[in-house]
Amino acid sequence: MEALMAQRKTVLSRLCIVWLNVWFWSLFAAASILFLVLAVPYVYLFDLLGRNRRRTLWLVRRTISHYGATAMHCGWPLIRVRFIDYAPQEKPPFVFVANHRSASDAFLMSVLPVECVEILNIWPSRLPFVNCFSRLAGYLRVREMPFDQFIEAGSRLLADGVSIIAFPEGTRSGSCQLGQFHGSAFRLAQHVGAKICPVTISGNEHIPSRGSLVLHPGRIVISKLPAVTCEQYQELNAYRLKTRVRETMRKHLDAQPV
Amino acid sequence: MTDSELIQAVNDVFADSFEIPREKLTPEAQIFGDLGLDSLDVVDLVAAIQKKFNVQVRDDERIRSIRSMQDLYHYLIMIRNEQKKA
Repeated sequence: MEALMAQRKTVLSRLCIVWLNVWFWSLFAAASILFLVLAVPYVYLFDLLGRNRRRTLWLVRRTISHYGATAMHCGWPLIRVRFIDYAPQEKPPFVFVANHRSASDAFLMSVLPVECVEILNIWPSRLPFVNCFSRLAGYLRVREMPFDQFIEAGSRLLADGVSIIAFPEGTRSGSCQLGQFHGSAFRLAQHVGAKICPVTISGNEHIPSRGSLVLHPGRIVISKLPAVTCEQYQELNAYRLKTRVRETMRKHLDAQPV
Repeated sequence: MTDSELIQAVNDVFADSFEIPREKLTPEAQIFGDLGLDSLDVVDLVAAIQKKFNVQVRDDERIRSIRSMQDLYHYLIMIRNEQKKA
């Protein structure tokens, strides 16, 4: 009897995964096409008529954020996303540092309620769609520019009130383990005295798993933790700073239900 | 300075500059993988080592092949021996 119940549960769970993937990828494809057809001409016209580069950049970034939010909700109700802001009173700009478990992380960053650009690794630039829009939005390609140029570009963005999102592990962990952090984003924050805001993402290690496009049902929790201010980190070198921020994130992630 | 004193002094640099717990500072520990230093941290590490041992190693090509704490100990022992000979 128990074996039969377990078998039924497995079949049901597989059906759930099939349904989720058919549902999600259909909606996601439709949303992407709609985004291309409506948003791209809108941004182009806005730029042509407004002739204000700063406003256009803002619009491109907001549009990407709306696209991310749409993608994030395509899996509802089998994929649910919850955003918790532990310090809503803090004002931008921030250097957000987030853990990186899955390809969905970049989309999930759309929950952050501020104008942002992401720091990109090499592989997302190889995807034509991502490459084109990330260039339009002025995303930072840390591996494709000298470090001084990265600091200069990042400083300009922060001075302009634009927050920067970094995944300091550099690559998807694909598990619940938090990898070692690279220090570039922390050095940028130190250079301009910007606030560093840790963001933890949990529950999406199989949405999708590393090296796969198959989504699994689950609950994703994104937590925006209180920022570390310049006054709090000014005595620390970049290594100590990244280690402390990593430790804060690790403790928070360990406290999350698996 | 004996070998063990030198190793102790190298560990002091890691503990003081990077707050790395001493139990992690084993000869097998990989500087990038296990201790979490990145290429920019290595610049800080080289500066701290130069200050601690009063040597100039920044332009030494041999630094590039250092991966583990053991490699670093060997390298600095070699530098010390070269200085003695000179």
